[in-house]
Amino acid sequence: MKFRKVFAIVLALAVILALTACGGASGAKKGAVTVTDMTGREITLEKPATRIVALTASDCEILYAIGAGDTLVGRGEYCDYPAKVLDVPSVQSGYDTNIEQIIALEPQVLLMSTMAQTEEQIAALESAGVQVVVSDAHDIEGVYTAIEMIGALMGKDENAAAVVDGMKKSFAELKENAAGDGTKTVYFEVSPLEYGLWTAGSGTFMDEITRMLGLRNAFDDVEGWASISEEQVLERNPDYIVTITMYFGEGPTPEEELLSRSGWEDVTAIKNDAILNLVDNELSRPAPRLVDGAKMMYDFIYGETAENAA
Amino acid sequence: MRPDPGVREEGAAAPSSAMPALRREGFGPGAYLAFAGVMVCTMILCVCAGSVSIPVRDTVRVIAAAVLGREIPAVSARSIILSVRLPRVLCVALTGAALSLCGAAMQGLLKNPLADGSTLGVSSGASLGAALAIALEITLPGIPFAGTMVMAMLFAFLSLILILSLAYRLDFSLSTNTIILIGVIYSMFISSVLSLVIAFAGDHLKSITYWTMGSLAGSSYKNALVLLTALGLCGAVIVCHARELNAFAIGEDNARHIGVNVKRVKLTVMITVSVLIGVCVSIGGTIAFVGLVTPHMVRMITGPNHKRILPASLFGGATFLMLCDLLARILFNPVELPIGVVTSFIGAILFVVIFYQSRRAHA
Repeated sequence: MKFRKVFAIVLALAVILALTACGGASGAKKGAVTVTDMTGREITLEKPATRIVALTASDCEILYAIGAGDTLVGRGEYCDYPAKVLDVPSVQSGYDTNIEQIIALEPQVLLMSTMAQTEEQIAALESAGVQVVVSDAHDIEGVYTAIEMIGALMGKDENAAAVVDGMKKSFAELKENAAGDGTKTVYFEVSPLEYGLWTAGSGTFMDEITRMLGLRNAFDDVEGWASISEEQVLERNPDYIVTITMYFGEGPTPEEELLSRSGWEDVTAIKNDAILNLVDNELSRPAPRLVDGAKMMYDFIYGETAENAA
Repeated sequence: MRPDPGVREEGAAAPSSAMPALRREGFGPGAYLAFAGVMVCTMILCVCAGSVSIPVRDTVRVIAAAVLGREIPAVSARSIILSVRLPRVLCVALTGAALSLCGAAMQGLLKNPLADGSTLGVSSGASLGAALAIALEITLPGIPFAGTMVMAMLFAFLSLILILSLAYRLDFSLSTNTIILIGVIYSMFISSVLSLVIAFAGDHLKSITYWTMGSLAGSSYKNALVLLTALGLCGAVIVCHARELNAFAIGEDNARHIGVNVKRVKLTVMITVSVLIGVCVSIGGTIAFVGLVTPHMVRMITGPNHKRILPASLFGGATFLMLCDLLARILFNPVELPIGVVTSFIGAILFVVIFYQSRRAHA
């Protein structure tokens, strides 16, 4: 399954490269861009996009990372990084996405992930002249594909390549320096105890980065995001806890709350106060900031090193 | 250990003790013992079984030591049993008992076999109250989460009053269909208001959304104590009104004729039910079908007398919800199901079966 996914993405990447190459060779309209999006649809733009609406937070982050943030004319409700993106008008998200508003913004391209919109909505957008491009990364390799695809759409291939290279280099460095032998375990907490525990299992970015750092996800036998039993957390006795629970500025912080849970006193991570609170979705979004999240986890587990401090 | 249908076992145990009880009208000590016995057995099963398997011997040693105040043996599973499993099982049992008692009382009061906190919209009213308390940051100084609890109770009561007065206006006889229809419409209305609250809740959005999903995971002894207090007080009030509920079952006019203060009894029972549902909802969210199904199952064993239905619903509800929670905990281990999924699934099927059988019996 995993292999097929990676294979499909590599294939998609190859197709993109081939198509862009062909586009140049066959002497199509000057400056035209053709990309294959992450569902395999082929999209051709007469010239790189200058007005774009992005529905997912990660795509907004990618646009800013490749220096195309100023082309963003509309955003999804939950896009919140970098702070500048909040000035861009929101067109809602998911089922509430405001198609009329998107059309009124007259973008050339709408970037979204799979499952957010219905076929009819997409057809309506396309008949209004908005090209729908799907970015849908499930692993780090997929993020590279998404960045390169968006780079091609915006005519910022070089910037995109630079971002991808930077990410690859940082990850390689982290992987090389990480001294773990895959025995220490990390438990990721997505939702706090009060509302039932949720964790990130295998097939998530957190899981991928955990393995990269020479550690093991305590719940790697669970697929994707899942509600898990508190008993199991105590039984598996994780060495580290990474919580991405939100904090609204009242009551105990997620860290304090974890430390105060009754029955958790004997968990290794609690005993050693080995808790990291990632507050900005660094590890949950398929975007360049995955590197930041990975570095924070590295620093948290192995202590700050000269290379990473630099 | 014990197979799932705890209530069926009660069925086997009840006839011997229920027959003399019938003559005595009340709930004889034998019947109490049988029901309590089944409940305690279920409780032991639920504490011993779970996501992590722990030897029964260790479980017993840990709990015995904790209860007797001796030094707790350093078994690795100690915290799992004492801090996670036991408080949760206690909360589940108390919630199940409280909701079932409420269901039984409302079914009797309204002479309506489909009445229950969830079908009437009382539970959704309570959850709206709690969500408002979170969104508007209503708190009682000094006592944590008392704000949500009081708001939940208040809204539960207001909902009940609103639904019933509307139903009276439309149909003085308060027929089954009218009440249920209004309850369904009211629930929809409440859920739209709830969505509105969530849309304007800003930063509190996440905690409200999580909260409306309902969960008894992470229950503490403090929750159990609150539930126990509420159930003790309100349960006593409701059980003491068994005679009046019996009179209501024959008809409100008849009740009046035999000297029941109809208005006062109605108000008392409704307030107590609202308080109990409010407490349950503010601790565990809305859990559907428990209050609806348990009284029906219990009635098949005890017959229609409320002096027996009410106490039997207490034990039966606790047993039913504990078994549902056990399934939620172990079915897809280590993944946990929301308890509402299990209760609705089992409850809906059981309900159709009961409904079908009772209709056929009448025909």
